[in-house]
Amino acid sequence: MKKRQMYFRMITASLMRRRSRMLVALLSIAIGATVLSGLVTIYYDVPRQMGAQFRNYGANMIFTAKDEKFTLADVQQGVSLIDADAVVGVAPYRYENVRIHESPVVVAGTDINGAQKTSPYWHIEGEWPSADGQILVGASLAENFRLRIGETLEVSYTPSEAQEGQETILDNILEFEITGILDTGGSEEDYLYISLADLEALTEESGSIDIAELSISGGADELSAYADTISNSVSAVNARLVKRVTASETTVLSKLQALVLLVTVVVLALTMICVATTMTAVVTERRKEIGLRKAIGASDSSIIKEFLGESMLLGGLGGILGSVLGFVFAQQVSIHVFSSTISFMPALVPITILVSILVTGLSSLMPIRSATEVDPALVLKGE
Amino acid sequence: MFFRMIKGTLLRQWKKMLMIAFTIALGASLAAAMLSVMFDVGDKVNQELKTYGANITVVPKASSVLNELYEVEGGESTGAYLREDELGKIKTIFWAFNIVDYAPFVNVSGELDDGSEVRVVGSWFNHHMSLPTGEELDAGIAGLRSWWEIESGEWLDEQADENAEIAMIGTALAKKLNLSVGNTLHVKGSAGDKNFRIVGIFDAGGEEDDQIFAPLNPVQALANLDGCIDSIEVSALTTPDNELAERAAKDPSSLTVSQYEIWYCTAYASSICYQIQEVITDSVASPVRQVADSEGAILEKTQLLMILITILSLIGAALGICNLVTASVMERSSEIGLMKAIGAQNGAISGLVLTEIFITAIFGGLIGFFAGFGFAQIIGHTVFGSSIAMTPVVIPIVAILVILVTLAGSIPAIRMLLRLRPAEVLHGGH
Amino acid sequence: MSLLELKNVYKIYGELHALDNVNMKVEKGEWVSIMGPSGSGKSTMMNIIGCMDKPSKGEVLLDGVDISKESAKNLTTIRRDKIGLIFQQFHLVNYLTAVENVMLAQYYHSLPDEKEALEALERVGLADRAKHLPSQLSGGEQQRVCVARALINYPEIILADEPTGNLDEANEEIVVDLFHKLHDEGTTLIVVTHDPEVAEVAQRTVVLRNGRVVKEVINQNFTGKIHFNEEGTHVTKTDLKSEEEIQAEEQANENK
Repeated sequence: MKKRQMYFRMITASLMRRRSRMLVALLSIAIGATVLSGLVTIYYDVPRQMGAQFRNYGANMIFTAKDEKFTLADVQQGVSLIDADAVVGVAPYRYENVRIHESPVVVAGTDINGAQKTSPYWHIEGEWPSADGQILVGASLAENFRLRIGETLEVSYTPSEAQEGQETILDNILEFEITGILDTGGSEEDYLYISLADLEALTEESGSIDIAELSISGGADELSAYADTISNSVSAVNARLVKRVTASETTVLSKLQALVLLVTVVVLALTMICVATTMTAVVTERRKEIGLRKAIGASDSSIIKEFLGESMLLGGLGGILGSVLGFVFAQQVSIHVFSSTISFMPALVPITILVSILVTGLSSLMPIRSATEVDPALVLKGE
Repeated sequence: MFFRMIKGTLLRQWKKMLMIAFTIALGASLAAAMLSVMFDVGDKVNQELKTYGANITVVPKASSVLNELYEVEGGESTGAYLREDELGKIKTIFWAFNIVDYAPFVNVSGELDDGSEVRVVGSWFNHHMSLPTGEELDAGIAGLRSWWEIESGEWLDEQADENAEIAMIGTALAKKLNLSVGNTLHVKGSAGDKNFRIVGIFDAGGEEDDQIFAPLNPVQALANLDGCIDSIEVSALTTPDNELAERAAKDPSSLTVSQYEIWYCTAYASSICYQIQEVITDSVASPVRQVADSEGAILEKTQLLMILITILSLIGAALGICNLVTASVMERSSEIGLMKAIGAQNGAISGLVLTEIFITAIFGGLIGFFAGFGFAQIIGHTVFGSSIAMTPVVIPIVAILVILVTLAGSIPAIRMLLRLRPAEVLHGGH
Repeated sequence: MSLLELKNVYKIYGELHALDNVNMKVEKGEWVSIMGPSGSGKSTMMNIIGCMDKPSKGEVLLDGVDISKESAKNLTTIRRDKIGLIFQQFHLVNYLTAVENVMLAQYYHSLPDEKEALEALERVGLADRAKHLPSQLSGGEQQRVCVARALINYPEIILADEPTGNLDEANEEIVVDLFHKLHDEGTTLIVVTHDPEVAEVAQRTVVLRNGRVVKEVINQNFTGKIHFNEEGTHVTKTDLKSEEEIQAEEQANENK
């Protein structure tokens, strides 16, 4: 039998037949590798996952008119310049003065679906409008005019010019069904909301857009770049970041990432030291065996090679275990905290295994060295 | 005799004992660090989220909706106002401590020299308050508008002179009127006019860029609104809403007495609003959903994330300690065998070994606890720039963890060794 | 030339003379026992002969080479090549089988050879326990595995330290019988022991006390095959003729 064969036979026998002792050591190493793999995965994933949470704050970019108003086509042109995956929602708004119950109010025409995405914090009692002919009423208006869900609301619009064949200016009147009441704690509660199509029907003009709100995922730098591109490319539109949302997001998100990083560093450092002390104990336990091997003729380098081999094998096994468990942990975190899954990072597996082997090996080296320096006679003769 | 033996072991075998103490210290420090951070991270992140500005607005009960509309058309405001002299009461509510910042707002429509309309807003910038509790607070929009970029000049300092006719103007307005810092802006209101000296130009990234911001008194004078406030913005540290909070928000009288107490005594946005309404006459306070709801979600997720990471670390710490305690007990196999061989009872032996281990564990645990707390502070200062508060419950948790794990590590090992025949243990066969 | 010679060997620890001017010779094929109470220095002598320790003063000649001047590393090599060790506490690697334990000694010496290892186990009567772990073997069996391991590299000297110290009567007998067998095959045996019964079966007993050789006892009733004649050279028993054989030879010569 070749020497190498015997070598492997020995180190595997050590791990297999001393199962209970090795299992505990393996567990320690596996925990270290799990911490490494799991926390690093989370660290890389936190910006994306948390970032999505920040979209709850609503629109982070707005389009305003450079001179006069701009059109829906301009909005769409602007949106096309943004990476499709990054666009969470787009809501163009057109405001007109109308009257309800003989009193002047402002109505906003918008893309209802878009508004739901750009204003996720809008609290609707009832339902969003889902079809033409439905209206969303701000809470202040609802209270002042005692409007209820399910009622019909008449909205009248006074055109600027008389229509052909008429002498006086007659109002356009449309009836809407109130589907919901909007509660935000902000100025939105003072408006009525209908679809853009309904507004065009009411005013009998396809007008233009006063302002467009966009919710885009990305960091402040990316968003700035988009804003500049759009402002330069679409002549009628000025794209600006909503500072309140983007500045705050950058601040808080970067702090959260720093938190996860530091926590990872602290936990990792302490866990690795734990692994090192475990390995030290594992080796120290076997001083007698080392003395025996020396007595039957093992050289120091031979002993170092054997025990180091064992440690590194253990480290490799622990590393594999840890990569798997770490991913499972990170996945559980992602599901329970963010209700989404993370994609597997294949590069992390070899790194985890390598680090595991390195730490286990290096931390065994010193106790092995010191054990080989002991006189075998002393070890064998007594305690 | 018992104590002599213990002292003997601890002194002679101090290296081995030190090893155990070190490992337990490691595990304890990991546990203490993570638990401390976990319990405090909610407050820290909550503080950070205050950069988004106010999460509660207070308006007069009778305030007309049409304010907005009339501003656009240049009309006068309607008559419902809050009282300026009641502003201090906000810091007297049950949750006063959670009120981090707040500012009153007065909106006046003014006319410029070129005939154009401009909105003039009077507010606090850095209004100093010395409260009876000893707390010192600088309240105002300097804190509530943290995202304003000061393009030129600086933030208005109202502590120099409350009545000074100074103002900050938005970047769009400055460009339109070709004004810079140091220029004077003449504004005519319905009851008088003012010459505001511009001390700063800001970029707010919103409609405020077309407005003038000045201290309360000069702006109130413009429209004969002395002592009157249109609205108050409040930034409070709140607990995320749950079912109870939502029910209470709709109607507090629908709660039972004990539920009411729980709700009132928890810093929900709705209970803080309720308490503000109690002290500010004829007011309606409501959460700004854009801020309040979103920060709730982020807070919850951050805390949950930290909890899960902490659990993982605790498992790791426990396993590390357990493993080493077992190993060190096994190392003393011959000593235990010897004691048995000379006739000691199992109970006595266990007692001796356990006591030695526990003395070491207490020593290691204490050091570890303080080290861990230190690590937590490093994390706190590096990330948030402030210390992590010591949550008392961390101490018993770490203590119980160390005790349980040490027991789990030593008892099975001791029992195993006691079951062996002394000869086996003494003579190797190892 | 003697196989092993200790010349004026001292081992001094501060005030204590563990070995005090010891002189001893062991010839090839001899079975010598070293006896003495504890503290007599026999462990120290064992360590020195076993290349695990060096004397403070004096020479230790193994095959004519003075090993007292060698480095620790070289001592390991010499020990590995020339000395087979048997200990009182049967030190076997507890997670390797009997045959693997024997192969371990081969591994450090040259090349592991399972066939040879099995043969060694057969020599000590444990061929059928080759795949057992030490925990599955009795004390005597474990000791015999140690003997097989000590033999595997064909050492010049077998050095046994209290080989029967932890064994009961029956197993003690088995091991002593094994020693007889080894001696008959020509192995040089040095057995360190405090048990007079074990010491007595050797050819010669060197008695130590307080670090000194106080006497040497020749075993008149040695039952082994190899003897030493008056010139001091060893003679296998088969070379020796019995009384009847001598008479028969003389008879044959006379008849010629």
